[in-house]
Amino acid sequence: MLFRKILVGFDGSKGSWEALRRALALAAPFSAEVWALSVIEIPHWTAAVAEVDEQRALLEERYRQLHDEARQVAAQKGISFHTLVKVGHSAQTLVSTARAGEFDLLVIGHSGHSGVWGTFLGTTADKVVRHAPCTVMVVRW
Amino acid sequence: MEHVWGTAAIWMALALVASLFSIRLGISVALVEIAVGVFGGNVLHLEVSEWINALAGIGAVVLTFLAGAEIDPESLRRHLKPSLAIGIAGFVFPFLGAAAFARFVAGWAPDSAWIAGIALSTTSVAVVYAVMVETGLNQTELGKLILAACFINDLGTVLALGLIFAGFDRWLLAFIAVTALVLWPLPRLTRWVIQTWGGRVSEPEVKFLLLALFALGWLATRAGSEAVLPAYLIGLVVAGVFHESRALTLRLRTIAFGALTPFYFIKAGLFVSIPAIISGAALIGAFLLVKMVAKLVGVWPLTRAFAMERRSGTYTTLLMSTGLTFGTISALFGLTNGLIDQSQYTVLVTAVIGSAVVPTLIAQTWFLPETAPAGAREPGQASVSTLPAMESSSLSEGED
Repeated sequence: MLFRKILVGFDGSKGSWEALRRALALAAPFSAEVWALSVIEIPHWTAAVAEVDEQRALLEERYRQLHDEARQVAAQKGISFHTLVKVGHSAQTLVSTARAGEFDLLVIGHSGHSGVWGTFLGTTADKVVRHAPCTVMVVRW
Repeated sequence: MEHVWGTAAIWMALALVASLFSIRLGISVALVEIAVGVFGGNVLHLEVSEWINALAGIGAVVLTFLAGAEIDPESLRRHLKPSLAIGIAGFVFPFLGAAAFARFVAGWAPDSAWIAGIALSTTSVAVVYAVMVETGLNQTELGKLILAACFINDLGTVLALGLIFAGFDRWLLAFIAVTALVLWPLPRLTRWVIQTWGGRVSEPEVKFLLLALFALGWLATRAGSEAVLPAYLIGLVVAGVFHESRALTLRLRTIAFGALTPFYFIKAGLFVSIPAIISGAALIGAFLLVKMVAKLVGVWPLTRAFAMERRSGTYTTLLMSTGLTFGTISALFGLTNGLIDQSQYTVLVTAVIGSAVVPTLIAQTWFLPETAPAGAREPGQASVSTLPAMESSSLSEGED
């Protein structure tokens, strides 16, 4: 199967790094371009504007550093690499970005959440697999 | 003294748990602290001591001050007419509607009914802001207008809370006169204190602002008013200075959210009675409905009058139906001063929390304006299909 545009959900977790490595490996033989998308989830129903702004600033800085590191890894492999940062709900943003950008593969790392969190909240992977407009690869690590 | 440390440790443990849950769940720490307080009151049977009351009171005052200081004066000036009209209507209609409902339908005493009206008249600037950041609307003129209207709405709430129950005597006159005298030069004085002594370990600028808050708070209370009234006004007048001095904002915020507001929000939850939620469920739903309908009646026609298209008008109205901080402050004021009982407090606080959640969910799901930046809509509604459109909504983009 030929992949030309690959979107990776990238939040700096071990799973997302593994997803990025897989995406780069898949991209190499097809000369595909890889896009890393980092989603800033801001708190809901806040009591102060500051809660929103601080969370956003914190994650923007964190993602900036992570994207620099990821860019170096991609450059070593000679892959065309782009980064995106968006505010929103992780699963929803991954799906809408994959659709809007007409990506043909979406790669995400499994969160590793199980037990209480997994049961009550489900995982981002569950939701993305259910709604994505393209092929989805969930990387276990 | 040993008892004080033990109590402080328990409250701080609850605050820490609330912080961790809020980070994990992506929900405001204030809401989780209220929930933790409900657990503390109903299960652990925690009690409130004099010094906890003091810390919680200071927390409410500093939080209110920070809320006032978050206004963007330039946006307010630019949208003065529509934001004044929408903000005033957003306050008056639910204030009178909820008070009338409490008095004539629920049969509450007059003072209790006024508290209901005040608590449900609010709009939560922070809740609205969070919703708009997610959709990108905060960067649009519509978003700025809505936020400015929210500040006007909350000013109405704070004025009502501060004046309706005040004793109309010489103390109130003194409070009004001194407040006016302090507010007028305060922005210049604050800027001067920051420039002259700012950025030192002894934090003179923080102490200067706390002095103003505490002194006017004392005078307000002495006049039978509420300390949050001058706090909000001080916040509004120094907002411009705060926009210039991010470091000062951060330091005050750290003090507030680290050591003061947890006591306030946990205390607010402590008095919520779970049996009263169950027995008053219908009344809670009714109050929430009254608030939303009153906002609809008051705000929606004005949005149309100011040439907002139908969908944007409905979205604006729904966002203006939210509430949280000032709603709980008003209800707690009523409980503390014996104006409402614990059951009524429970009904009001639960309705206020409901108003933080329900209108935002409806607005986000069905009424997101067409003017929202590309990529902000639900996947099914997305109008963008190309990469450049998608990129326009991203905060940042980079490439190799």
